[in-house]
Amino acid sequence: MPAKNHKQWKVPAFEQGDYVDSRIYSDQAIFDEEMEKIFKQVWIPVCHESEVPEAYDFRTTSIAKEPIIVVRGPDNEVRAFLNVCPHRGMRLERRTAGNFIEGQPSGNPKHMTCMFHAWQFDMKGNCVDIPRAKEGYQERLTKEDVGLRRLRCEVRFGGFIWVTLNDKVEQKLETWADGAFECIRSAIDTEPLEVFHYHKAIIDSNYKLWHDTNSEFYHDYMHYHNRVTGFNDEYFARTNKGFKNGHVNVNSFTVQYGEFELGESREDLSFPGFPPNQWYMIDLFPGMNFNLRGSALRCDIVTPLGPNQVMIEFRGLGLKSDSEKDRQTRIEHHNSIWGPFGRNLHEDLLGITGQGASMQTGSEPRRILHGRHENNLIHDEVGMRHFYTEWSKWMGRNPSDPMNEQNESLKGMAAE
Amino acid sequence: MDAKKAAVVAAVTDTVYRACLYLDEGNWEEFLNLCDKSMLYSIKAYSPEIRKHMIYLSHNKKELGSLTEMLPKLNSDHSPLRRHASIYTVDVSDDKKTATAVTSLAVYMNMHDGINSHIDSGETRLFLVGRYFDKFKISGDNASIIEREVRLDTRRLDKGTHLLI
Repeated sequence: MPAKNHKQWKVPAFEQGDYVDSRIYSDQAIFDEEMEKIFKQVWIPVCHESEVPEAYDFRTTSIAKEPIIVVRGPDNEVRAFLNVCPHRGMRLERRTAGNFIEGQPSGNPKHMTCMFHAWQFDMKGNCVDIPRAKEGYQERLTKEDVGLRRLRCEVRFGGFIWVTLNDKVEQKLETWADGAFECIRSAIDTEPLEVFHYHKAIIDSNYKLWHDTNSEFYHDYMHYHNRVTGFNDEYFARTNKGFKNGHVNVNSFTVQYGEFELGESREDLSFPGFPPNQWYMIDLFPGMNFNLRGSALRCDIVTPLGPNQVMIEFRGLGLKSDSEKDRQTRIEHHNSIWGPFGRNLHEDLLGITGQGASMQTGSEPRRILHGRHENNLIHDEVGMRHFYTEWSKWMGRNPSDPMNEQNESLKGMAAE
Repeated sequence: MDAKKAAVVAAVTDTVYRACLYLDEGNWEEFLNLCDKSMLYSIKAYSPEIRKHMIYLSHNKKELGSLTEMLPKLNSDHSPLRRHASIYTVDVSDDKKTATAVTSLAVYMNMHDGINSHIDSGETRLFLVGRYFDKFKISGDNASIIEREVRLDTRRLDKGTHLLI
């Protein structure tokens, strides 16, 4: 067989949308645009309320390279600010999590203090002290003139803390989610949840490739665990459902955990109103995943670091009211599949690592197929197509032709 | 140190280092032969992010057997792990029937796959650091592991692994 290049192989009878151009996963300019046009505009879950359970607790995070701090005030309200001192732009709090009840070397208890010049702020972001302000700034600047940049913040959908950098965000979070969470609403909102697991991975791959993996189940062929516990008529009858704003969920089926050698039925431990051994999946634009499976809720949050690098934070959650025994069981169930030593997660991460290696900046552009049509059933790739329809709206680019080359080519042919 | 205690320390030392060699080789059967039938194995870490102690993996000896027998059915990174262990302390009970040991551990990954095997293979990267907290049952000259807790300092494990640590 003669060698063929990517242009000579038969082009499948696919419509645009059934494939994307691999440069959407590798181009630096597209990545930079995504940060400005998408990540700085939409709601992003940054942590869970159980990570800041007490007054003066804090958690630091970031969106689109902007450092963020989430604090719980003495009034019990959770607020989010840019984690940046308004004086000289120093990162205000350096730790990943903690509590402000104890004073820091530069500052007093119950205050956020910039270690650099000891400017201090209360839990509402007000500046409450500037050392020797009068001497240095006279009347030109007082502590009332400065404060932390407050960000819009909501606690919702199982107690996750959502933040947006967009002061003029058009939709409240509930509207933005457009009902994607309704399938698990009673399970996650009847009583408080609590994070019991956290780990992160930095992978040399594009963030959308991780979201693609979470948005298609065809890759279950890769998972021995999922093949033996699923792959029956009920599994293949699961359907993808699209929602506004690029979100998708996948309905449930009864997982046959007992078919796995190390398997254990999740029948005795679930969530409020959630039938045993079920598995719902919610994929939220532009890259968050909520996976309620059996006895544990998993949440993935992506932080894109570059066109070919992403940090993924993995959380496992149970009920805050769990007995010690139940919590232990949830942890074992969660980590047997999804922990860093679990059976499935390693395989998923190998998958996108391999994609990242073949789609580096400057790689030969190629078509990445999203073209399985199976009436929205489980192996239909409609979830990815739904995502990229939304992506196209925000980016003003066609993911199948992101550089507008096909259009230009057609124009040229018409002119000839 | 009396002779009997010294013999126990030697037995514990031998088991810890031999276990490292078996684990390095992927000789799971021989590793499990160093473990008592009641053995419990766990991998734990403290997360300053969520301010909680976490259990990343927890199995008994039988489950470890199933886990390792299953490996050929799983898609795994092909890079072998190599352990560098230093036993810091061995404490022997008064009756010399049990002992505990704390071992400092660094685990390296000898790249076979890496990101792009053409480029990365042959390179060695630090995979994790941590400690073994082991408990032993002493029978004659033999020290069997009855409990192994792998306590990780490293929490960014990226791709993770299917292999025992």
